[in-house]
Amino acid sequence: MIELIGVSKRFGETAAVDDISLRVERGELCVLVGTSGCGKSTTLRMINRLIEHSDGEIHIDGQQIRDFREETLRRRMGYAIQSTGLFPHWTVARNIGLVPRLLKWPPARIRERVEELMAMLGLSMDEFAGKYPRQLSGGQAQRVGVARALAADPDILLMDEPFGALDPITRETLQQELRELQARLQKTIVFVTHDMDEALRLADRLVVMDGGRIRQQGHPLELLREPADAFVESLLGGEDRGLKEAALLTVGERMMPLSPRLLPRERISRHATLREALSMMLWRHAERLAVVDDEDMPVGELSLRQLVGAKHHE
Amino acid sequence: MSEAVSRRVSRGGTRWLVPLAWSLVLLSACVGMPWLEGLFRLVEPDSRSVIYARADFLTLLGRHLLVVAVAALAAVIIGVGAAVAVTRCAGRDFLPLVAQLASIGQTFPPVAVLALAVPVLGFGTLPIIVALLLYGLLPIVRNTLAGLEGVDPGVREAARGMGMTGGQLLRQVELPLAAPVILAGIRTSVTINIATAAIGATVGASNLGDPIISGIVNGNTAYVLQGALLIGLLALTVDSVFARLQPAAA
Repeated sequence: MIELIGVSKRFGETAAVDDISLRVERGELCVLVGTSGCGKSTTLRMINRLIEHSDGEIHIDGQQIRDFREETLRRRMGYAIQSTGLFPHWTVARNIGLVPRLLKWPPARIRERVEELMAMLGLSMDEFAGKYPRQLSGGQAQRVGVARALAADPDILLMDEPFGALDPITRETLQQELRELQARLQKTIVFVTHDMDEALRLADRLVVMDGGRIRQQGHPLELLREPADAFVESLLGGEDRGLKEAALLTVGERMMPLSPRLLPRERISRHATLREALSMMLWRHAERLAVVDDEDMPVGELSLRQLVGAKHHE
Repeated sequence: MSEAVSRRVSRGGTRWLVPLAWSLVLLSACVGMPWLEGLFRLVEPDSRSVIYARADFLTLLGRHLLVVAVAALAAVIIGVGAAVAVTRCAGRDFLPLVAQLASIGQTFPPVAVLALAVPVLGFGTLPIIVALLLYGLLPIVRNTLAGLEGVDPGVREAARGMGMTGGQLLRQVELPLAAPVILAGIRTSVTINIATAAIGATVGASNLGDPIISGIVNGNTAYVLQGALLIGLLALTVDSVFARLQPAAA
């Protein structure tokens, strides 16, 4: 659990972060989003004391971060950044084992942990363990970066635009993987990005920042449905908001039980988003879709009316 | 991984061929100089002796190497140490000062350093070591600074963010990454100083400069040639050793 109470950071006269309070529960993925210079990275880096806060208090599991030695504090938190910061003169395996080695784990345990992490992130041990960072693609390097951040199994993970430099397809794959990892590992994650789609896709708690202050925070759907002001509204995508909301809801939430009517030919997974369902309807000129489960068995159906308005009918 | 190791081992045999060849040429030139008497006689037909014989060439070579090595060692310790110190948070204010001091050290002619050092340190080896140390400092300081500043800021941030201490960051990340550039600076410094060390002979530090100075004083070109030849060979040998030490451009 991370708690910021009235935290500010001033560089000379200007306040980069101005009196923000934020609570990230254990197992929650909190995304800080905003335009560049809004203080989101500064906020993140105050949590592991790469930047010291000027005012207020930051607590980790109820303890002030200033009570820890800097290095001890940082070794308890994973840290992944956009440029990966992998050590170019170390192999992938050695890079991943960095924090365990700093913590003086026995070599056998480090090796075991590195193997486990590489498997977890889909990096084959034979192919990648001995490679150097310059031999990796952007996506592979970022996977290694995430593996390194997770190496000592920290409760807290700090991620500063980790997927910012990747192409859209790789980025989406890694976002998906992060969600799956998070579902399994239940870390407390603070994630910084300026990409609203990424933020909406990942966040349990979305924090919109501007000018060093928090404009609004809450569940992504809350913000989409009731943006606090025009700034939040425009950042959330203005007229695209309907589609962004649809991308957060799944077909399973809106579908109706199977009716005696003939089942439509077009099928969609119950885990697909409403946005995908809408797209399929537009594409296939279909007003009804059959909803199937993981075994491709029909479990319900979704009509355009339900898709757009079921919320109000119920 | 075993493949890489075996490749390194098999390459190890040939890696040192060039330095080995140069040192063999150098040593045989030292030992075999008298056999080249006929050759030098062509240059100096009228002189009584054409092979420098006041001291053994091997001894001169050894002293020459020693002086350069001591000066280089001191220059590395001081130069790398200073460059590391001024790239730390606490020492950053002194960065311009150190860079300037090192530059001044090189613009100051070694002969002038000798002239100033002799009254204080007396005749012999010490003044030339001081002169070489000052003269060789700049390439080392400059390259160490360039190497350390050249480390990707993202790497440094990640290292700190992962919880490395300042010392761990320096030893495990910054110095290894800067090593090729630092080594290039040491190489330049040492190669220049092998030639410069010859002037030590003027203040009584006997080394390969002796035949040259003696040749100039006595008007014996053959002596000058012998000293120059051996110094040149020594420089080539040492340079080829550095060329081997430097990792293949990664």
